[in-house]
Parts: sequence; C-alpha cells; structure tokens
Amino acid sequence: MNRQRKDNLFAFLFIFPVFAVYSCFLIAPMISSAFYSLNEWNGVADKTFIGWENYKTLMASSDYWLTFWNTLKLVIVTLVVQITLGLLIAYLLYSKTKGLKIFRTIYFLPVVIAPVAIGLMFSLFYNSEIGIFNRLLEAIGLDSWTRNWLSDTRVLLGAVIAPQAWQYIGMYITIFLAALQSIPEELVESAQIDGANKRQQFFHIIVPQMAYFIEISMILCVTGALKSFEHSWIMTNGGPGVRSAYLGVYMYKTAFVNSNFGLGSAISVTIVILALVFTLVLKAITEKIYKD
Amino acid sequence: MRKKIIGIICAAALIMGLSSGCATNSNNGSTEESGLQNEQIPADTAQEDITEAEKITIRFATNWGPGDAKYDYFNPLFEKYAEENKEKVVIKLETLSTEDYKTKIRTETASGNLPDIFTWWGGSMITDMVDAELLLNVDDYFMMTDKTSKEDFDSSAFGYYTLPDGTYGFPLESTRPVFIANKALFDEYGLSYPKTYEELKAVSEVFNQNGIIPIAMASKNGTPAEFFFSELYSQFAGAEEELVNMGTTRNFATDNALKTAEAITDMINQGMFPEDTVANGDWGPCLQLYCDGKAAMTYTYPWMFESMTEEAQEFSECIPVPMLDGAANDPSTFVSGFTVYGAVVSKSSFEDPAKQQALADFIDFLTSDELTLALTQSGMIPAKQVAYNMDDMKPIFKKMIDFCEGKKLISVHYTTIPDLAALNMLDASLDELFIQAITPQEFLDKVQAELDK
Repeated sequence: MNRQRKDNLFAFLFIFPVFAVYSCFLIAPMISSAFYSLNEWNGVADKTFIGWENYKTLMASSDYWLTFWNTLKLVIVTLVVQITLGLLIAYLLYSKTKGLKIFRTIYFLPVVIAPVAIGLMFSLFYNSEIGIFNRLLEAIGLDSWTRNWLSDTRVLLGAVIAPQAWQYIGMYITIFLAALQSIPEELVESAQIDGANKRQQFFHIIVPQMAYFIEISMILCVTGALKSFEHSWIMTNGGPGVRSAYLGVYMYKTAFVNSNFGLGSAISVTIVILALVFTLVLKAITEKIYKD
Repeated sequence: MRKKIIGIICAAALIMGLSSGCATNSNNGSTEESGLQNEQIPADTAQEDITEAEKITIRFATNWGPGDAKYDYFNPLFEKYAEENKEKVVIKLETLSTEDYKTKIRTETASGNLPDIFTWWGGSMITDMVDAELLLNVDDYFMMTDKTSKEDFDSSAFGYYTLPDGTYGFPLESTRPVFIANKALFDEYGLSYPKTYEELKAVSEVFNQNGIIPIAMASKNGTPAEFFFSELYSQFAGAEEELVNMGTTRNFATDNALKTAEAITDMINQGMFPEDTVANGDWGPCLQLYCDGKAAMTYTYPWMFESMTEEAQEFSECIPVPMLDGAANDPSTFVSGFTVYGAVVSKSSFEDPAKQQALADFIDFLTSDELTLALTQSGMIPAKQVAYNMDDMKPIFKKMIDFCEGKKLISVHYTTIPDLAALNMLDASLDELFIQAITPQEFLDKVQAELDK
C-alpha cells in the first residue's frame, strides 16, 4: 500500500504540471466563455445576466445558420479530400520507395506555410483581373470555366475552402505514411501468398491495420475544420455578408468587431459542442467497425 | 532509489518551469520599447536601480508601426522624444497593423488593461468606452496645458470625438477623398472628364471596349465602397442633414440611401467597376488597378498617397464625382471632409497623479506642430491648423489641396452612424450589394435593422 501511494504520488507529480497548464489555458477559459455566453456584455460595461437569450438569438439568426452550414461543408470537404487523398498518396509513396523522402518533403511543405500567406496567395490567384487561375484556364481553352472566384456566390465558398483543403493534405500523408511503415510486412506478404490482389490487400489488410490512425486523423481533420479562421478571413473577411464565413469567423466578427462578447462566447460554446458531437460520432462509428 | 531521485528532480524541474512560464511578463512579441529600455539599465549601482524604479512608465499604442504610411515620419520623432525624456519617463510603444490593433485594443478594454494613451477612431468606436468612463474628457487636459488649445484645430475637428457630455479624443488626422482620373488614358481615347451620369456611361462604354476598367471601385468589408456610397449619397437633397442627424434619428434607410444604392447597382450593371469586387476590394487593390493603368478612375484617400507611384501621381487629375440623375447638389461644390483619426487617453491613467504630467507632456508631443508637419509628408491632412510647406508635399497631395480649396465639407456615414454593429453591417452588406447578392432595398433593411435593435 505504501508503495502504491508512493507510485500514485509520483504519477500525480508528473501529471500535475500538464494538468495545471491544461486547466489554466483550456478548461478555465472554456468555463469563462460558457459564463460569458449567459450574459450581455460589450467588453467594456458590466455584464448583464440574460440567461439563454444569446442562444435564442443565435438559433433565430440566419447568419448563424449560414455560417453553421458553411462550416459543415468545410468539414465534409476536408474529411473527404484530406483523409482520402492523404491515404491514397501515402499508399502510393509507400508502394514506390524511390524518391520517398523528397516527395514526402514536397507534400509536407504547404503545411508549414502560414495559413495567412496561403490565403493571401490564393486571393491573388483568384483575382479575375490579375490572377493566374483565369489566365491559365483561358490559355488551355477553358474560357467558359473562368469565374469571379471571390465574387460569384456559386463558387465563392468552394474557392475559400479549396486552399485550406489543399494545404493540410501533406500532414495526413505524413501521418499515414508513418502508419503504413509500422504495419508488419508479414501480414502483407501472407495476404499476397494467399492470392490477394493490391486492392484486396489495401482494403482488407492495410486499412484495418491503420484504423486507429485514420480515426485520429479524422478527429484532427474535423476539429481543425471547426476552428478554421485564417483562410476565410484573409481572402474575403468572411464576406460578402457571411457567405464565406465559418463559425470561427462569425464568432470573431461578433465578439471583436461588433464588440458583442456575450453572443460571441455563445457561438464559441456551440463550436465546442459541435466538436464534441463530431468526436463522439466518429468514435462510435469506428468502434462499430472495430467490432465488425 | 536512484530512479526515484531522478524522478523527483524531473518533477521539480517541471513545476519550476511551469511557475516561471506563468510569471507576469509585461513585454509581448508585438511590443517595442523605446526610451530607456529596462534591459539596458546598467546593473552596477543601487542608486541607479532605485531611480529606474521611480521612473514613470507610459504605454502608448498605435497602428503607426512598420508597414504603415506614417511610420517613417512618426518613429524618428517618437524616438527623439523618448530619448529627450528618458530621465523621467519610459514610453513603451506598442504597434500592430490596423485590424490586429483594433482586436488588441478591444481585448485590452475587456480585460481592463487599456494602454495609457492610444490612437483610436471616434464616433461609434468610442461610445462604449465613454459610457464606461474609460476615456479622458479632453477639457481636463486643455485646462492644464499652455502648449495647445482647442482653437489650434479646425473648428469641426473635435466633432468626431464629441458625445453629448463631452469630447473624448484629440483629433490628429483630417481627410479629404479624391476622385482621380488618369489623364493619359482619357487623352488616349479622346475623352473628356465626365460631369454627368450620362457622360460617365458614355466614357465607361469606351473604356470597357478597350479593356480598361472605368472606375476602380470595389467592396471588401465595405472598403472603399462605404466612402464612395457617402460621396454619391451627398448629391441628393437633404442628404447632408440626414447624415448630421443620424446620431439622433438612427434613420439610415431613407429615400436618398435607396437612390444611392440603386445608382451603385446601375453602375455595376453598366460595367463601371471591376467584375470581381471582393478580390479587388480594399484600398490597396483598387489603387493598384488604377496605378497600373488598368482603371481610368478611382476614389481614394490621402492615407494611400504613400502607395501611389510618382508616375501615377503625375498622370492623375482630381475631378468631381459625376453628378447622378436626380441629384440636387452639384458634386463640384462639396467634398467629404472629416476627422478620421486621433488619440484618446485612459481616464484612470490621467487621474493618476504619478502619470498625469507625463501624459500631458506626451499629448503635447502628439499634437505638436513638429509631429503634425512630419506626418503631413505621408499625405495626412492635419486636424490641427499648421502652415506646411507645399513644396515638401507629394504632387498628388498638392493637387488634392488645390481641388478641395473653397469646397463645402460634408460628413460621411463612417463618422455619423451611431452604432458600431450598424456600421459593420453597412460594410458587410455593401459587399453583398456589389456582387448583387441583395437588392438595394434589402441592403437598406439590413443596416436599418441593426439601428433599430
């Protein structure tokens, strides 16, 4: 027992610093935000407790629901693009080892560039007067595909989502590549001996072995999308209106531009709830797959 | 045992690292210190350390940092002032780019950590701070200084910072917009500067046929469209009174506003603006289209003069905005003119006896003729009445001054809309109007809805 208590004490001493930092910089602000969300507060005057009024305002706000659906679209697109392409490209790199390190570096390069720089770059690329996208399309005879990428409501959201979806593919390539390299070769060889073709090896051996990594990557992808801000803000300020805004941008505009910290905090609480729901759903789905 | 000792040492190191990392640190990554910096204090004598501890520290925040048009003119004089006063005061300069700066001040306001003195906008941007009694009434300063008086400024300069119960800011920058035309392009196509809307349409058709954008005007977060909207609005009968009284009437959705919004929509349909009004929105992109010769005309403000090439300044002529159909006020007789920027002081800091004199001295510096004249070289029109040598000014600045001479000054929505949320809705909705995602009436309704809350 004495030894058990000592072990527990040491465990506590090692966990405590991280727990303290986590509590101080994550849990406490979250609880504060939840409290602020129940108040009317412009960041200057005293807070006025109004209960659930901020949430009622949000539920009745067309701008909130527009940004909500924009965020959901971003989540779906990034999940499909980043996870799928990340997995496929990682598998291709894993299959062909020549030039692996060079390609891995090239694919990872956009990840380390600041999102602000990527957003600025793409806003120049998209410019219908001076940007290269329309010029390229015209050069290859696809004039009908040219658009006012940031002013045409039909393509606006896609244009804002695209650089973000592209930028972080490299991160998932790196994660999946590491996961692939950790798969015992005997498993793959056994499957080959048993007559499995490449597709069967991929879906019946590789993917199940990577299930845990895929689950973590999907959670990272979803939570990253829910926190999105820079690309939308730099390219369009979330506009016109809130047509290209995500919940993070809407929260920032509400709190820091309109000085409505109560309503902004309510938006941030809904973002947290959304993240929790997504995480729980993903875990439930993957656990079901594990059992199957 | 050995492992346990190592474990204890590691845990202790972690905790100590955590404690030191969470310790208060008054410096952040965006803060510059000028004057006598703490880290430069010689650590040799106890007497000097005690003197250093007694020095007043003033926090001054501004967006006139590196990259801003005024930085090259402000910073040398600021450093000179800090050096000259290093014996009695340490001035911590905190600079950020404009949008980050706004976030910084709003965050610090919410956390109760306002700088002692900072540059800031007036109008709806200070109402909350004034209501919370955070800002100094400038009369308290003018009572104790003999270096500056209100009479040294333009008669209307303090209006931007004046609320019903007092004036809460020092105007530093006034402004006049310019509608400029590329003379070379007009000469190339044998065109005259348009005075009426019909002439503007005719001129625009010629430019469009030749791949030239008639007017580099767009809207990204309302910039620069918001000011152009006010310019057009002021052409209609009664518009000036509506603008001046908007603070009390809270009425934006007037017939004049609808006519203006409809005029802008027609201009878009006539192809007078760039097709991509979001990508080309903001001051820089619009001006760039004009300076590159891709647009024949544009509407800009003096804070962008630093970005105009010498060539562009030479080929530019200031012309009146063409008169719209149904307009009553001749645009050649008026120009938007208003205080656009200034400095505000934390009331609690000024009431601190230890800081009061140092703050008053620094306000003397900010409003001094020397600094004012230096800043005019960036294209800034001073709110203070100073005699500046036009030979030192940029060509475009001289043209602007000549153009504005004798014209009536009118307000803009930016300074008269009483509600920050309504101002932001105006900006966001202008973006939507420019891409024709909403109708003129819907645009008016959105802004009015915010004012009605």
